Amino acid sequence: MRPLDWIVLVVSLVSIVTYGLYRSRGSNTVDRYLLAGRTMPWYAMALSIMATQASAITFISTTGQSYVDGMRFVQAYFGLPIAMVIVSAILVPAFHRAKIYTAYEYLERRFDGKTRTLASIIFLCQRGLSAGLTIYAPAIVLSIILGWPERATTTLMGSVVVTYTVLGGIKAVTWSDVQQMCIIMLGLVVALVTVIVLLPAQVGFGDAVYLAGAAGRLNAVTTDFNWNDRFNIWSGLFGSTFLFLSYFGCDQSQVQRYLTGRSIAQSRLGLLFNAVAKIPMQFFVLFIGAMVFVFYLFIQPPVLFQHAELARIQPLAAFAPAQQDYNRAFEGRRQAALALVEARHARDAAGERRQLEAYRAAQSRMDAARVRAAGLVETSGGEKDFSDTNYIFLSFVTRYLPMGVVGMVIAVIFAATMSASSGEINSLATVSVVDIYRRYIHRRGSDHHYLMASRWATLFWGIYAVAFAGWGKKLGSLIVAVNVVGSLFYGSLLGCFVLAFGFRRVGGTATFIGMLAGEVAIFYAFLFGHVSYLWYNAIGCVVVVATALAITYLWPSSASATAGTPQPE
Amino acid sequence: MPDTDTREVPDDPPPFLRTWNRIYGAVLIYLAATVAVLYWFTRAWQ
Repeated sequence: MRPLDWIVLVVSLVSIVTYGLYRSRGSNTVDRYLLAGRTMPWYAMALSIMATQASAITFISTTGQSYVDGMRFVQAYFGLPIAMVIVSAILVPAFHRAKIYTAYEYLERRFDGKTRTLASIIFLCQRGLSAGLTIYAPAIVLSIILGWPERATTTLMGSVVVTYTVLGGIKAVTWSDVQQMCIIMLGLVVALVTVIVLLPAQVGFGDAVYLAGAAGRLNAVTTDFNWNDRFNIWSGLFGSTFLFLSYFGCDQSQVQRYLTGRSIAQSRLGLLFNAVAKIPMQFFVLFIGAMVFVFYLFIQPPVLFQHAELARIQPLAAFAPAQQDYNRAFEGRRQAALALVEARHARDAAGERRQLEAYRAAQSRMDAARVRAAGLVETSGGEKDFSDTNYIFLSFVTRYLPMGVVGMVIAVIFAATMSASSGEINSLATVSVVDIYRRYIHRRGSDHHYLMASRWATLFWGIYAVAFAGWGKKLGSLIVAVNVVGSLFYGSLLGCFVLAFGFRRVGGTATFIGMLAGEVAIFYAFLFGHVSYLWYNAIGCVVVVATALAITYLWPSSASATAGTPQPE
Repeated sequence: MPDTDTREVPDDPPPFLRTWNRIYGAVLIYLAATVAVLYWFTRAWQ
C-alpha cells in the first residue's frame, strides 16, 4: 500500500462511519434504534439489503471461485427473484401488520412461546457462526497487506463496526450500507476496467472473453443434473429458492431491513429491486474473476497464492521440481493462448480448432502442476484439502493494480465487511433482547431499559464475532462456507414459517417437534449424505412440514391450541 | 418498548404497472430472460 492508497482507504472508511452516525441522530427509543421508527425509504432498504448480503467474502472468494471453477456459481442466485416475489406477496404485509420487531415474535402469536424460542435459538446459532466468518474475510486482506496477525486485524475491524452499530442502531447500519454499496459498485467497475487495461496489447476484450470461455471459465449455466453438484441450473432454480426464502423470510438480519420500511409498498420495492439487481451484480463479480484468470495467462501467477504456505513449502526438496514443472506448464499455456488468439485473428477455422485443443491441454497441465504443488502443503503437515481460492483476487490487487485503485478495492472489501457485519450484529442483538431477554428475563422494563439492553447486546455480539473469526480459516472457500453454515439451519426455520402461513390446523407442539426433526434430517444429510448444500433447505423444510402434518393428523389433540389465534393474511 | 403499536400500516399500489401481481409477473419474466441470456452466453463462448 502506497500513501495514496492509504488516503483513499482512510477517507472512504471515515466518511462511511461519519455519514452513518450523522443519519442516525435521534435513535433514542427502542423502536428507532431497532427499526428506525419504521421510516426508511425503499432505495435505502434496497441498497442496505444488497450491502448486507454482499459481504467482503463476495469479492474475495467469489472472484477466486470464478478463477478456479468458472462462473457457474451465479446459478446459486437464480432462486432469488422467485423468493423475493413470495416474500413480498406473503410475508411483508403479514409482518408489517403484525407490528413486530422480529420474525420470531410472529411465531408466538401464531403458535406458542416454545416455537418462537426454538426459532430464535436456531437463528442465534446460525447467524452467530456466520458473524465470525464475515469478520474473518477482510482480516485476510489486512494480514496480506500489512503483515499483521489475523487476530489483530479482526479486532480492529470488529471495533470499528461495533462502535457505529452500538451508537447508531439500525439507522446507522442502513445509511452506512447505502454509502458502502455506492463505493462497492464504483470499486468493482474500476477493478474490471483495470484488469482489462492490464492485458497485453495484442489481446483485446473480445479475445479475453474468448480465452476465458475456451478454458471453461464462462460456464454461467450448466444443465447437467447431479445431487452432489453444488451449482447447476436445477439446484439454482429449486434449491436456492428455498435458501433465499429462508434467508429473506426467516433470517432476522434481512427481515429487520424490510421492517424498517415506512409502508408495505416501500418494503416490497426494496426487496424487488434486489430481485432484479442481484444476479447481474453477481455475474459482474464473477466476470472480474474470469478476467483475472485471463490476465494470469500472460503474467505468471505464483504456484500458490497464499504466501505464508508458499514460504513454508519452498525449502522442501520436492518443491523445486514442482516449481519447474509449474513454470513449464505456464510457459506452454502462455504460448498456446497467444497462438489461439493469432489463429482467431487470422479467421483460420482449422488452425483455431487445433490451437484450441492445445490451449485446453496446456490448461489441464497447468491445473495438474498447481494441484501437485498444493499437495505439498498437506504432505508437509499443513492444512488438509488446502485451498487458496480466497487469496487469488487479493494477490492480484496488491501486486498489479495501480496506486489509488488498490486503496479503493481495499475500501470496497472493508465497506462490504462493515455492512454485512453490522447487519448481523444488529439483528443478533435484536433477537437476544426482544425474543429472549424481554420474553423470559425482564418482561416489564422501560423503553430506556430495553434501549440500553439492545446496546449492550450489540456490544456482546460484536465481541463474540471477533472471538470466533479465526474459525473461518478452516473452511476453504469462504463464500461456500457461509452458505453451507446457513443451510444447516435455514430449512427448519423455513418449514416453521411455511406451517405458520400455509397450514392453519397445525399447532405449536407439532411445529416444535417438526423443527427438531428437520434439524436432525439436515445434519444427517450434511454428515452422511452426498447432497449439495443448496438442497439442505428443501430437505429441512419438507421434513418439518411432513412431521408436523403427520403429528397433527395422527394426534388431532395436538392441533390447534392455536385455532383461535389471529391468522396471517 | 410498546407491546402494541396502533399506527396504520399503509399498503399503497406500486408506482408502475398498477397492481403488485403484475410487478411480480414482470420480475419472473425478467428471471426467465436472464437465465436465457446467461445460457446463450455460456453456449456462445464455450
